[in-house]
Amino acid sequence: MRQRLAALAAVAVLALAACNGTGSSNAPTGGTPAASSGTAAGCVIGVSWNNYDQERWKKADEPAIKAAIAAGGGTYTSTDAHDSSDQQNKDIQTLVNQHVKVIILLAKDATAVLPAVTAAEQAGVQIIGYDRLIEDPKALYITFDNKRVGTIMAQTLLGVQPTGNYAIIKGDPGDPNAAFLRSGMDDGGLKDAVSSGKVKIVGEVNTPNWDTTGAKNEMQAILNANNNKVDAVLSENDGMATGVSQALQAVGLTIPLSGQDGDAAALNRVALGQQTVSVWKNAFALGETAGSAAIQMCGGTALADVKAPSDLPAATKPADLNTHDFTTPGNNTVKSIILNPTPILKANLADVITAGWVTKDQVCTGVAAGAVAACG
Amino acid sequence: MTETVAAPSPGLGLRNRFNELVRLTELDGRLLGMIVTLIAIEIGFGIYTGGNILNPVNLLTFVTQAIEIAILATGMVLVIVSRNIDLSVGSVLGVVAMVYAVLMHEVYPTTIGVNTPYGWLLALAAGMGLGVILGGIQGFLIAYAGIPSFVVTLGGLLAFRGLIFDISGGSTQAPDDKQFVTLGGGPLGSLGGTMSWVLGAILGVAIVAYLFYNRRQRRKFGFPLRPMWAEVGVAVGGILIVIFGVLVSNAYHWPIGLIKQYAAEHNISPNGLDFEAGIPWPLVILLVVTVAMTFLSTKRKFGRYVYAIGGNPEAAELGGINTRWTIMKIYILMGFLCAIAAAISSAQINGATNDLGQGYELLVISAAVIGGTSFAGGVGTIPGAVLGAIVIYALRYNLQFIGLPSNNQDIVIAIVLVAAVAFDTYTRRRST
Repeated sequence: MRQRLAALAAVAVLALAACNGTGSSNAPTGGTPAASSGTAAGCVIGVSWNNYDQERWKKADEPAIKAAIAAGGGTYTSTDAHDSSDQQNKDIQTLVNQHVKVIILLAKDATAVLPAVTAAEQAGVQIIGYDRLIEDPKALYITFDNKRVGTIMAQTLLGVQPTGNYAIIKGDPGDPNAAFLRSGMDDGGLKDAVSSGKVKIVGEVNTPNWDTTGAKNEMQAILNANNNKVDAVLSENDGMATGVSQALQAVGLTIPLSGQDGDAAALNRVALGQQTVSVWKNAFALGETAGSAAIQMCGGTALADVKAPSDLPAATKPADLNTHDFTTPGNNTVKSIILNPTPILKANLADVITAGWVTKDQVCTGVAAGAVAACG
Repeated sequence: MTETVAAPSPGLGLRNRFNELVRLTELDGRLLGMIVTLIAIEIGFGIYTGGNILNPVNLLTFVTQAIEIAILATGMVLVIVSRNIDLSVGSVLGVVAMVYAVLMHEVYPTTIGVNTPYGWLLALAAGMGLGVILGGIQGFLIAYAGIPSFVVTLGGLLAFRGLIFDISGGSTQAPDDKQFVTLGGGPLGSLGGTMSWVLGAILGVAIVAYLFYNRRQRRKFGFPLRPMWAEVGVAVGGILIVIFGVLVSNAYHWPIGLIKQYAAEHNISPNGLDFEAGIPWPLVILLVVTVAMTFLSTKRKFGRYVYAIGGNPEAAELGGINTRWTIMKIYILMGFLCAIAAAISSAQINGATNDLGQGYELLVISAAVIGGTSFAGGVGTIPGAVLGAIVIYALRYNLQFIGLPSNNQDIVIAIVLVAAVAFDTYTRRRST
């Protein structure tokens, strides 16, 4: 019986598929242009996530992208590459087959993803490089100004501690962002302070994988080598700042400390006075910008004419809403929209709470009543 | 010599008579079951999407996506049949792919030059050699040092993955030679419309010729012949499948961007220009590998020895089979297949990343198991494993197409994996 059903099923599918085959053999892209997950009139936008399991994307980026797309009358679909570069290439191919018009691409590996990007562009799909650079002059690059993050860190700390011994805890040596941040610190006044003798760098290390415990061990080593005479620590992100803070508290030191990402634990430290600043990248704004740009590109707008949304928070909004040329490390020129990061200090903790990034409880745990404005 | 033609036993009910007829065609029941499953999946999703998903481009895409795992699965069948396991396939693939990329990206520019007509062949040879060596080391430790295969290949998984970082210096390596990239498929890595038909014709002729040869051999040695209608039926079925495959491949045409590029390069107008992509090279490679592995496992001593060892290792040893050398050969073969799959993987991303191949071992084992290979040993077919890989990717692709979140896709595949094995165990228990 099973075999008989099988025979019937086989004939039916062969017939169906052959019919579809001859029907579409004249279409240049080899696919029936009729509706799959989006009508020819609507705009289907696909997002290729690198590793969707990481909390940030589900919490902030995705809802913002979805909202912007829905506001523009488009349809959203997504794939998750589970942190695998060749799976991401397959995902991009799948999105192309689903007749998306624009792909928002969070690349796992900027080089390995290029063959899939080229193939997608040959099939007429446009690409937005989201948060991570893709060396492709035809793509739109939407990200935060990573160098500026470093500048803000240095400016803030030098503002409260213009002289003394500085330690610099840097991120993974293989991550280009770590280098961007360090060069941003120099621009933020660190270079001048060192050359004028006001600041002495007593320790500067890289931390493989941006690891928290690694950062703690490095900080302990620097403290020991300098008899605990350290006056400020520039940590390139909040995860490492957690480790640094543990090392400092162990010797009873409370000194200016920087971080990045707006992690809940770090924001709590800012409220408690154990961390001076956490430079926050408003992922909601990034998602909204990408979604809005995708809708514009879908409607035929040229890359040079795409505009960032006008309702972005003032602190995040770039100087003007147009796209600008950005010269990549690989010497390509890509059109880009670069958003500003937001320094979060004790005084403006309310910003992250009102944006919905963290809850008041997460930020204010253990804070004395009346000590911090945002905590009441 | 008298000719005996097999015939159904008289006096059976309608259902049993049908089963008898199927048995007379001598096609593997489990294999037919796999094809039924695949067709049922397509029909099911086809109905769900109102026919949209039955576009030949989708079919071609997920079959092409499955090819690396399918190639590895052909080797994994023999490994599992012999009551062993190989957890290192992903890492071996990663190492060989990185060697390909480093050769073509770093070594060639200063030595023989890039994009030479033979550069890619040299790289392939080097990679295959490395695959054979890595497989051989593991095979030696398993067969002659007697270390359990789980432990040795687990060590291989860790060690070879670490080796990749040393070879690459921590960064992604790109690009490969242009000739090498055609191994990855895509419109430029396919045979084109005409050549696909030529290949189809060759395959059709080969099927018919094989059936003739088989019948002649049986007559010569006095084995019962298949009834004539069964021979014709199998031939026609095979030819229909070949025609279907060529039609599907040719339904995929060059994308508009590529046509414009081609027109610009050749100084002609792109208007009205249209090329059929045809059968992609990875699919050709898969066909060759599948036929070769099936031949090896059914018609050569080596293959028969592997099944004998899997069925009863002591009896095989006492019967005079050199079990240790056979097992070592299994792992050498697996290493060789890793090198072939690595070529396709590397070509598809035009280079190599440090994480290439990570996690492949579980997909490969799943493909073999869904295809009917049993961990008890002694049972399993190569074509089944290839179909198993295609089923996994068909499910994945179709679920993605209808918009199911990827974590739920994994749940569905897990259910299918367990159900397939449960069904297999049930039918096997019923038949004994």
